Parts: sequence; C-alpha cells; structure tokens
Amino acid sequence: MIRLVDVVKKYEVNQSQSVVALDGINLEIKKGEVVVLRGSSGSGKSTILSLIAALSKPTSGEVVVGDERISKLPDSFASDFRRNTIGFVFQKYNLIHTLSVEENIILPLVPINLDAKEIKVKLERVLGMFHIAHKAKQLVKNLSGGEQQRVAIARANINNPQIILADEPTANLDAKLSLSFVEIVKELKAEGKTIVIATHDPLFFGLDVVDREIEISQGKLL
Amino acid sequence: MRSRINLYIVEYAINSLLRQKYKTLFIGLVLTLLIFLLSSVFFITNSMKHELQATVDALPEITVQKIKAGRHDEIDVDVIDAILELNGVESAVARVWGYYYFQNAGVNFTLVGIDEYEEQYKKSFVAAASKLDFTKPSMLVGEGVKRVMDANYYKEYFNFIKPDGSLKRVDIGGVFKAETELESNDIILMSKESVREIFDMKENKATDIVVRVANFNEVATIASKIKLLYPDTRVITKDDLKISYQNIFDYKSGIFLALFTTALFAFFIIIYDRASGLSSEQKREIGILKAIGWRVDDVLREKFYEGFVVSLLAYVVGITLALAFVYIFHAPFLREIFSGYSQLKTSFALPFVLDMQTLALLFFLTVPLYIAAIIIPSWRSATLEADEVIR
Repeated sequence: MIRLVDVVKKYEVNQSQSVVALDGINLEIKKGEVVVLRGSSGSGKSTILSLIAALSKPTSGEVVVGDERISKLPDSFASDFRRNTIGFVFQKYNLIHTLSVEENIILPLVPINLDAKEIKVKLERVLGMFHIAHKAKQLVKNLSGGEQQRVAIARANINNPQIILADEPTANLDAKLSLSFVEIVKELKAEGKTIVIATHDPLFFGLDVVDREIEISQGKLL
Repeated sequence: MRSRINLYIVEYAINSLLRQKYKTLFIGLVLTLLIFLLSSVFFITNSMKHELQATVDALPEITVQKIKAGRHDEIDVDVIDAILELNGVESAVARVWGYYYFQNAGVNFTLVGIDEYEEQYKKSFVAAASKLDFTKPSMLVGEGVKRVMDANYYKEYFNFIKPDGSLKRVDIGGVFKAETELESNDIILMSKESVREIFDMKENKATDIVVRVANFNEVATIASKIKLLYPDTRVITKDDLKISYQNIFDYKSGIFLALFTTALFAFFIIIYDRASGLSSEQKREIGILKAIGWRVDDVLREKFYEGFVVSLLAYVVGITLALAFVYIFHAPFLREIFSGYSQLKTSFALPFVLDMQTLALLFFLTVPLYIAAIIIPSWRSATLEADEVIR
C-alpha cells in the first residue's frame, strides 16, 4: 500500500547549510495496517507523514502509495491525491478558527463542487461518527482541545480516504481524551483503513489495535 | 464539473471577507475613496473639455479691438464699412458688451447688446432676438444670472446702476439658453441701446467688431489686412483664442493632474502593501487548504473572487458617488479649482458627459491591479510545499 524506497529528505537552513531529516528510509506499510512511528521530537517521523501525504517531496528516493509514485506527482495531482486518498490529522489540528465546525469539516469538498445534498450526506456521516453533531454550528475557536481534535478527524474522513495519517494526535489531550482517540483508531481500523500514527506518547506502545511499531531516530529506522 | 463556476469557492471567498470584516471594510472604503477622487477628476475634466470645445466652436473667426495706451478701448462703428470692403469678408458686426459687477452678490454679469434687425453673430442669439421685446427696456438672462437675481429678490426686473449713479430699470423677459451653460450662464441679453446706456457708451462706439470670413483658409490673410488698415487695433483670430483658452485649461489641468497623481500614489501604496506579503495567519490558511486537497488554482480562484468582490464593489460605489458628486451636487470644491470662476462668475452646472473610455480606463487602473495585488502573494504561498507553509 505505502512504500518508501531509499528516501532522503534534506531541509535547507541557508544557502550553504542543510539538515538531513530522513536518511535512506526504506519502509513498507500494508493495506489496513495500523502502524505507529515512534521517536523523539525531530527524529523525522512527521517528515515521513508529510512525504506520504505528498505535502512535500523527498530530496531523493521514491514514495509510492498504491500504484502512484507520489514523489513524482505535479502539484495539482498531489492536491487531488491528498483530497481523495489521505486524511491527515495534524498535531495542532490546523483548523480555521474563524469557521464553524461544519464549515471546517467540508473544506476538502469545496473545490470538488459537489451537490449540496451529497455534501450534506457526507457531513452528517462524519458528524455522527465522531460525535460532534451537536457542535456543528459552533465556531471552532470556542471548542475544547478534544472537540477540536474530533473536528480535525472528521475533516480528515469527510472524503472517506483509504489512509489516515495522524501526527502526535494526543500531544494536546489529557489522558481521558487520549483514550477516546484510541477508540476512534479502533473504529477506523474496523473500516479497513490504513493508519499511520507518528507519536512519542507511550499510550500507543503495545496497544492491541497497533499492528506494528517502528522506531525512528535521527532520520533513520532502527 | 470543474469548468462550472464553483459557488462554494465564491461563498468561501465572501465568508473569508466577512470574517475579516473590519479589515475588508477599511480597505474597501479607502479604495472607494480613491476611485471616487480619480473618477471625479476625470468627470470634471471631461465636462469642462466638452464645455470649452463648444464655447470655442461658438467664437467668431476674427475679433477686432481698438487698443489705446496698451488697453482695450471703444472702437468706432464706421470701421465696419472699411472691413466689409475687404475681399473675402462675409459680414462684420459691431458688438456692444461689457461686464457689470453686481455688488450684492459679488458676481460679474456679462451684458451683451443685440439689434432686432441685425445679422446675429452667434446662432444662439437668433432665437433670443425673436424672443426679446425691443419696444421697452427688457432682457433675457442666463440661468446663473436668474438664480442670482432671484436670490436677491429681483424676480421681474433689475436696476442697473449707471456710471453717473442713476438707475436703469430693465424688465426680465425670460431665460436665455445657449448650446453650453458655460457660454450662456452669466450672460444678459438686451438691446444695444440699453447696454450703451448702462455703460455710458456713445451711439457710434462699440466694444469690438466681429468679422465672419467666407473661406476659413483666408482668416489669417484678412486679419493681417485689417491690422494694416487699422494699426491701432488688435486683431484676434479664432485660433488665437483657442490657444489662450487651451493654455488656461492646461494650467488648470496641471492642478488636477497633481490631485490625480496624489490619489494614484495612495492607490499604489495600498497595492504595494497588499502585494508585498501575507500575514502569517493568511499563509497558514493557504497551507491548510493545500494540505487538505485544494489545488493552487483553487486557492488562486478563491483569492481572485475576494479581490474581485472588494475592488468591483469599490469601483461601482466610487463611480456612482463621483457621478452624484459631479453631476448632482455640482462638484463643490473641485469644480472651483478648475473653472476659477468662483468669485466673479455666476456658478454653472457641469454638462453630463459619460465617456466609456474614461470608465474603462478607471476600471483597468483599479480592479485588475487590486486583484493582481491579492493574487501574487497568495500564489507565492500556494506554490510552496504545503508542509513548509504550515510549519
């Protein structure tokens, strides 16, 4: 399903200096698998998620998702790929705070120009699935951290993508809300989705729902 | 499906503007004000040009003035006979006219004398001559004069003060209308006899003589012949007057150009400010949109709609306000700069001249520029890797 082949990612600090974030990563994740990328801050786990989501391109190597070599995709195709295949739950949720819950959730559908009825059906599905229907009209900025996370997850699922990527999903949550996120992961796994979670939260280590844990340090898989 | 106008993006753009309502309102107001100022300047200039052109067209081909001690003096009416004998001269008419200062209102009226059976040297005087009652002291007054007289309770007649201090009562017989208001506004038409009496001019004297020439190409030759015949005269051709009017117009245009440049400068400061970058919040929003599957062209389309809504609204409101300001409220302050008649001439209304070229120029000077200023920085952010923008 997801393959990273000899992936190197460097970030330019200035004209003469660059930082190696990923150094020769080879990784394969199967369809329906729940994988946890473990590692300390700056180890490169978020960069792997970015590459899988085609949010950035590798400096060298190849990223393949399904049959698509996404590291070679032009920008507009990469956008289409993200919209159709990937649901990304960002660490800071990346919601637009001045929009309401439902406006945030349907944002990925805006460019597709669907019928209003179709949008409504999709919206109601995720509102119900993630238990936030009662907050639909509220502005995101007025929600708690846990509620904001649910909105972010709902937005990531509005297009029913095959792959869910979550970057430090419990970093801003208390223990109770973190456990409820684990429940959501179980539900998504039950739907057959491939889930990759980048985290250093011990909560995810040794969990039943997790099929594989991959340790990463200084841009290399251990 | 993607070729249709995506109303969701339009809706998102409008909501985005409403979310930043104070910022949008401020920019919209400043844009509107600048467009209003620019278009007012254009509208006044166009109207004045139109008015001036019509006035110049109505000027006589040759005007002969007597000069004494370097100043304009009364000319003998007998001069006409000699001028009429020159080959190519079609007609020559003695004009009796002058300025009458009405102290109560602080304005000058232009008193023009006409004769009932004389050939009129202006088209507009032909109809006036048939309307004017020559059997008694009567006059036709321009719109501006009428307004001034009404305001000073002279509704049916006016008392002119003659040079010896005695009064000359003249009845108001009607309103005089010429092709342009600039031409007729401050004019009072009455018999030559009445004008001579008010200005204490002798019967064989006139203010100047206007000459009509059969062949326009001969104007310069005939003018030089008159000058040879009467060396103590100043012979002015229509072209000379055109140049002098144009000089005044150009000078006033300079003032307007300064105003125009200032407004344009302010506009470009806004454009520069908008084009020079986005706030971190705006960049973040673009990054989020890209991260969740918006294409670069979706982001740019949304930004286009934002810019289009603000600039088009500012354009429509600015132009509408300018039209009302210039043609309904008669452009207070601005018009005075141009006409320069504020104190000595009665006020006149600017003729309505709607030049599509001007509207198009204003449109292309403002709307696309503003949209470009919105789109360029958004394009810069949207073409970066989404990951980089969010981080």
